[in-house]
Amino acid sequence: MSEKRYKKLKTAVELQRLMQWHYTAARLPRLGRPLAWVTSGAPVEILRAMGVAAVYPENYGALCGARLQAVPLCQIAEAHGYSPDLCSYARTSLGSVFDPEHAPMRGLPRPDLLICCNNICGTVVKWYEALAQYYDVPLFILDTPFIYEHMPVGAYHDTPLLAYVMAQLEEMIRLVERATGRRLSLERFKQTVHLANRTVELWGEIRALCKARPSPLNAPDLFVNMAPIVVLRGTPGAVRFYQHLKAEVEERVKNGIGAIPQEKYRLLWDNIAIWHHLYRFYNYFVDYGACFVVDTYTGGWSQTIPSGELLEGLALAYATVFLNQSLEHRVKMMVDLISEYSVDGFVMHCNRSCKPYSLGQYAIKRYVMERTGVPGLIIESDMCDARSFASEAVRTRIQAFMEALAAG
Amino acid sequence: MSKPCFLGIDIGSLTVKAALLDADLHLLARGVVPAGYGGQEAAEALVARLLCECDLAPYEVAYTVVTGYGRVRYDAADEEVSEVSCHARGAFHLCPAVRTVIDIGGQDSKAIRLDPHGRVIDFAMNDKCAAGTGRFLEVMAAALHVPLEEFGPLALKSEHPVSISSTCTVFAESEAISHIARGAARQDVAAGLHQAIASRVYGLAARVGLEAEVMLTGGVALNVGVVTALTKLCTQHITVPSDPQTVGALGAALYAWQKRREARIISGA
Repeated sequence: MSEKRYKKLKTAVELQRLMQWHYTAARLPRLGRPLAWVTSGAPVEILRAMGVAAVYPENYGALCGARLQAVPLCQIAEAHGYSPDLCSYARTSLGSVFDPEHAPMRGLPRPDLLICCNNICGTVVKWYEALAQYYDVPLFILDTPFIYEHMPVGAYHDTPLLAYVMAQLEEMIRLVERATGRRLSLERFKQTVHLANRTVELWGEIRALCKARPSPLNAPDLFVNMAPIVVLRGTPGAVRFYQHLKAEVEERVKNGIGAIPQEKYRLLWDNIAIWHHLYRFYNYFVDYGACFVVDTYTGGWSQTIPSGELLEGLALAYATVFLNQSLEHRVKMMVDLISEYSVDGFVMHCNRSCKPYSLGQYAIKRYVMERTGVPGLIIESDMCDARSFASEAVRTRIQAFMEALAAG
Repeated sequence: MSKPCFLGIDIGSLTVKAALLDADLHLLARGVVPAGYGGQEAAEALVARLLCECDLAPYEVAYTVVTGYGRVRYDAADEEVSEVSCHARGAFHLCPAVRTVIDIGGQDSKAIRLDPHGRVIDFAMNDKCAAGTGRFLEVMAAALHVPLEEFGPLALKSEHPVSISSTCTVFAESEAISHIARGAARQDVAAGLHQAIASRVYGLAARVGLEAEVMLTGGVALNVGVVTALTKLCTQHITVPSDPQTVGALGAALYAWQKRREARIISGA
C-alpha cells in the first residue's frame, strides 16, 4: 500500500511523556503522599483534593493488553484459581499482583487504600475485595444503584437515591481522612472539580470535531488519547494535553485532513477497544475506506460534574454514567450519535470480559437498526485476552458487512 | 467465437464447490469435491473438469469470483467476495421470494436476512464453536458408527429422542456415548443430536428474524434429519434447493457476471 494507512498525531509524543510520568510518579518516593488504586468510574476528585495519588488497574490492564502482555498475566491469575470467564482487566491486574516479576513495569506500586465504584460493573467489587485481602488495606465501595428503564427521568434528582450516594461520598471522605491523616480542603476540592470539568469539556469538544467530513480521528486515536481523561482527569497536565490535542485536531479539520486516507464510510463503535489488535483490527476497516468517527466507550468520560453543591454534583455525575443505565438509554444514545455524526453503520464488540457492556447487545442492535435503518455488525472478541480473537472469522464478518454496506 | 462464461468457486473447509454460468445466466455446469488440504488443488482440478465437460478453454472464462474460507489463497480468481454475500446472491437468484437464508457449512453456520431486492440487511454467524455445523454431524455420525448419508434418515425413525444438553461438539460426543452406554437406541441418540444442532442454528437464525421464505443451503441441507428438526422449531416451511451445496458457488458466479459487466461499463468496452 502506497499511502500510509495511519496518520500519527503530533501530540503522540506529549501523550507518551504524560503517561510515562503518571506511572513513574506513582512509583517515586511520594514524600508521604498515599496511593490509592481506583476504578475508572470512581470519584477521584475527592482523592486529588486531599493530595492522594491515584492509579487505575483498568488502565494498567489496557496497557498490558496493547503491549500483548495481558495473556500471560491472565494465565497467572487462572493458575491461582480465577475463572477464565472473569474480566480480563481483573485477571491481568491480579496476575500482576501475584507475579510482579513478569508484569510490565513490575505491576502497579503497592496501594495504601482502594476505592471502588460499581457504576461500571459488579465485577470490580469482588476484584477489589480480593485486592483488599491481599494487601490488607482499607477498601471503600461506592454503591450506585442501576437506573432501570421504568424509573422516572432524572431518577437520581432529588430522590432518596441521590441522598444515598451523597451519604456514601461523605463516608468515603471520612474513610480517606482516617486512612491517610489528611483533610479535605473545600477550596482544593472546588479547584479539582473545576479542572476535571475543564478536562471533560475539552475531551467532549475533541470528540465533537469528528462530526467533520472527513473525520480528523479514527477509533484507535480516540482509544489511545482517552488515557489522560481516565487517569489524570482533574489535573493541570491533562488540561494542557487536551488543549494541545484539540488545537491539532482543529487544524486537521480546518485543512480537511482525515484520519484515514479516503473516508468512504463513517462508522460508530460500541464497547471497549480490542487492545491487543488495536491498529491491525481497525485497519481491516481502513482497507474499505471505513473510519470510526465516534464510539460509545470514550464518551463515557464526557459528562461534566453539574455546578452547585459539590457532593451532589459528584453523586449525580458518577451515578448516571451510561453503563449504569438501562438498555433503552443506550439505544437512544447510539441513535443520537448516529444522527449527530452522520454514521453509515455501526460495529459492536461483543466483549467476553465486559458483561454489563455486552449483555443486551443483540437487542440494542435490533432496536438501533429499526430506528435508524443503519446496519450493525457484532464482532466477538475480548478487550485484553487475545485468545478470544479469531482473526479469520472476524475478517470474514467485516468483509461481509462492508460488502452489504457498499451494496446498500 | 464462443460466448464468455462466468465462474464461481466456493472453497470451504470440507468441500470445494464450483458453478459455471453463460452470459445469459444459464447454469452450464456445477460440481462438488472434497477440499483436501487447503482446497486450492481440489479447486483447480474441479474447475478443469467443469471446463472440460462444457468443452470450454480457460481463456473463455471472462471472470472468476472465489468465496469461502480458502478464498484468500486462490490466486487464479479475479476477485474474492464473502460467503455471506455469495449465499445471499445465489439463494435469491434461485428463489426471489427468499428473505432468510440459513447456510450450514462444514465449519460455520450463518443466517442472512434479505430485503425484497436481494440485498443483505443483516446476518449472524456462529461463534468459535463447531456445534451447529457440518463438522458436528460428521463427528457424531462417526461416534454412532453410522454412514453420514444414513444419519438423517436414522434420526427420523426415533420416537423418543434423547436430550443432548451440551453446546460443545466434544462434550456432546461424550454425552452421546454416555446415552449409548446406558442402552439408548441408536436412532434416539441420532435424533437428539439432530435436535441439538437444529436448536443451535435456530437460535442463530432467530437473531436476524425468520422472515418467510426461509431457504436452507450448504451441505447440511442434504441431511433430512436436520431439515425436519429445524422446520419444527421454525414452525414454517423451509425450502431446500435441488443442489444446496453449490448455492454459494452459484452466487460467486453471479457476482463474476456482474463484476465483469461493471468492469466493461467503466472501461467503456
